[in-house]
Amino acid sequence: MKAFLEKDRLIPFLNTLSRQIEVIAPLATEAGAVYSTWQGQPLDLRSNPLSPPTEFLLPHKETLFRYIQESGRYTFKEDSIPPRLLFAIRPCDLHAIALLDRIFGSEPSDQAYFRRRRATSLVVLNCTNRGDECFCACLGAGPEAQDPCDLEITDIGDGYLCQAETPAGVLILQAAFNLLQPAQLEHDQEKARRLQLVEDAMPRDRSYHQIRQAIERADWVALGQECLGCGGCSFVCPVCHCFNILDRGVPDGERLRCRDSCILSGFSRLTGGANPRRTAGQRLRHWYQDKFEDLPKITGLPGCVGCGRCHLVCPAPIDRSDLKVESREAKI
Amino acid sequence: MSEYTPMQAEIADIDIESPNTYLITLKLLDETTDFRYLPGQFVMISVFGLGECPISIASSPTRRSLQLCIRRAGKVTNAIMDCLVGDVVGIRGPYGNGFPLHRMMRDVVIAGGGSGFATLRSLINYISDRREMFGKVAIAYGARTSQDLYFMQEYKSWQRAGMEVAVTVDIGDELWKGNVGLVTGLIDRFDLNPGSAAICGPPVMINAVARKLMERGFHLSDIYVSMERHMKCGVGKCEHCTIGPYHTCQDGPVFSYDQVREVI
Repeated sequence: MKAFLEKDRLIPFLNTLSRQIEVIAPLATEAGAVYSTWQGQPLDLRSNPLSPPTEFLLPHKETLFRYIQESGRYTFKEDSIPPRLLFAIRPCDLHAIALLDRIFGSEPSDQAYFRRRRATSLVVLNCTNRGDECFCACLGAGPEAQDPCDLEITDIGDGYLCQAETPAGVLILQAAFNLLQPAQLEHDQEKARRLQLVEDAMPRDRSYHQIRQAIERADWVALGQECLGCGGCSFVCPVCHCFNILDRGVPDGERLRCRDSCILSGFSRLTGGANPRRTAGQRLRHWYQDKFEDLPKITGLPGCVGCGRCHLVCPAPIDRSDLKVESREAKI
Repeated sequence: MSEYTPMQAEIADIDIESPNTYLITLKLLDETTDFRYLPGQFVMISVFGLGECPISIASSPTRRSLQLCIRRAGKVTNAIMDCLVGDVVGIRGPYGNGFPLHRMMRDVVIAGGGSGFATLRSLINYISDRREMFGKVAIAYGARTSQDLYFMQEYKSWQRAGMEVAVTVDIGDELWKGNVGLVTGLIDRFDLNPGSAAICGPPVMINAVARKLMERGFHLSDIYVSMERHMKCGVGKCEHCTIGPYHTCQDGPVFSYDQVREVI
């Protein structure tokens, strides 16, 4: 099902949705675009937020269950998960969600993840403007949505072309039916023209195979010396999903799942102190190898979606896709 | 409830194996639970409020009780060792692949170092109870001092089951009349045909034993190593225990030596 939504009707459209479900959208803030609950705040649909929307599926901190002790025995309770709609996520992040679905869906599947995933509707905004570090087309993740979502929207100048991809997507459109107009053939043509422009502007030198070659060639000792080990790259990566499990509270409390990062020095350290990845260079190399060697073996897809966030956030003079040490000035 | 919600188990018995190591026997509170496992698998054990850690199963599935051998090492193991009989802990699992028993049904060398011997006890007792399915079996075990030797009261029963048992310590003392030296020294004495092997211990010991066995004609892919890695989830999601494309918690902890020799 297709429909056309004029730009000045976007806010009424979101108002209609937010009356039914919590809407998470990229809000304009002083710190740039940030995904957060929309309650009428101004939107920023031009830039892709630095913090990816996957944090609403794998939060920085979530309660796996609560334990309640009585006479030395425990009962367990899970919190309920509220339904949510992620609005205007980008095709690269959608591709990351498809990857996370495969990772968390591999046997035994992770129900703590899928409880959130099933309660989340996805509305994708196709990319008609490209960020400076984006290379999604090299990895088959964009600029047009390549993976299943509920509703796909594309900015075609004076409005948005909306395409429902699932029954849930049709229901979203039906809920705001009086705001929509029928889609025309010209709308489709304009969408194709705009997406082609973005695709043509993409760099061509960052394909899966090219980055794999860069991993082989890279001087990991030199890169390790520059890496600050802050883990920033892995906290903004939409595919990164490392986590830690820990308890809080005695005798009653909660078992938490918190995000973790394989870039951090203690990540793989054993109780006795032995550490299979001792140096920053080994850890950085592992980060890349996981995405370009290991995840493809497990999921069938590259573990990178070309969003460029790791390069944007990295404070070290490292070119995160060519895997070379940069001059310090280049980064500033 | 998700995979992460544990079952509750009562500590039914505590045996002291060494000053800092206890063998605890667990009884699941829900007795209807069908808890089946293989030698070499592990569980995630938790003390509520302090957290979870992976511990290999030290008992054999051929016997009734579920036992874990726990050494004081970190926050959770300390808390477990401070528990009393009757206290409740959480367990989930069993996880991991376990030893490939069907490929080991011939002459077997079992080599353990330090606390790595706990997971091998499961295999040894399994073989002991299914003795006719295996060939000659030789066990080589080394610990730091005679105080640190686990399961001493069981060596006799293993020998009665027709298994060769050789034990050594790194540091001897006046009370110790046995061997002093490396586990590899014990293997030299075994009269065995090349067959399969199970090793668990510190990395240096694993490599030394594997090299020794290869000299004796054992094939790389017949030498099975139980690997230790930091783990959090046990179900192949948290990425703490990765070894290349493998998750130690799901694809391991038992690997053939040719799979992991480069990372030991």
